[in-house]
Amino acid sequence: MNDDGTLQDAELREVARRLGARAAERVDVERTAQAVVARLREEQRAPLRGAAWTWSQPVWLKIAAALVIVAGSGLVARAVRHAPSGLAAPVETVDLGDLSVAELRELLHSVEQPGAAEPVSWQDVGLEDLSPAELRTLLASLEPQT
Amino acid sequence: MTPAEPVAAVPSPTDAALIAAWQGGEEQAAAELVRRHTRALARFLAGAGAPEADLDDVVQETFIRAFRAVGTFRGQCRFRTWLLTIGGNVLKDAHRRAKRARVVPLADELRSTDGDPHERAVSAEAEGRLGEALQGLPRLQREVFLLRAQQGLEYDEIAAALGTTPGAARVHYHHAVKRLKECLK
Repeated sequence: MNDDGTLQDAELREVARRLGARAAERVDVERTAQAVVARLREEQRAPLRGAAWTWSQPVWLKIAAALVIVAGSGLVARAVRHAPSGLAAPVETVDLGDLSVAELRELLHSVEQPGAAEPVSWQDVGLEDLSPAELRTLLASLEPQT
Repeated sequence: MTPAEPVAAVPSPTDAALIAAWQGGEEQAAAELVRRHTRALARFLAGAGAPEADLDDVVQETFIRAFRAVGTFRGQCRFRTWLLTIGGNVLKDAHRRAKRARVVPLADELRSTDGDPHERAVSAEAEGRLGEALQGLPRLQREVFLLRAQQGLEYDEIAAALGTTPGAARVHYHHAVKRLKECLK
């Protein structure tokens, strides 16, 4: 340092070179190394746990979605199967004995149609055991003798 | 009996080799890098204004950030230089959080037992004044000054680490010296 108290370039560099040296000497290098390694180890574990959870999420979502689809499909199929056709509805609630001849004939006609021949609507009205021929016989028996 | 053959000194692995080893899962490679660069980093951080009480924490945090980001290190400069610039960022964040003035640990400096007590006191005073003056510089000037004057790096190296040109690094250094001299009058 000069008499006037200013630092010349070389002195400035020399002081700068020493700057922080004592403080740095007090840092325990080995302890720092072990602490850093421990923190890195911990950080590497944490993302793995997170990644596993994140990775499993879509799997669970897929399983849940598949269950919803299966259950939904079952409900839809069941609803379709049990859906009343145009003629089945009145049949469900009406005793055959209450039907007029014309109504019974219409019913018989619908049973003979291929689309209506499915056992779907008949299961619910208790006619599932009757074949079209049996129904025709039944109808004939109910027709008034003219 | 044959004379013992001279044992060839095993060259210590380069920083790049240690980085690759750590990325390959070798924990001790990271430990070796820490051992290799802790002192220089601590000196840089202390010079840049890290409070001595926090120096350990700032050093550790710098290494942690460096290892997290080591995939982005392309060897544009030496690993140590890159590490020092990360240390500058860590220190800036720490200052922002703490918002406390740097305390020059003059008493600690004087507790040192080596050398002549008078010389030690003069030396500590000069360092303390320089440390305070450095805090008045813009960050870039301060870091360029420390990288050049304290760490002894070339302008090319400094420029590569700070993402600037060697000419600009030189200008920052000279501005820093000029302002430090004014502060230390």
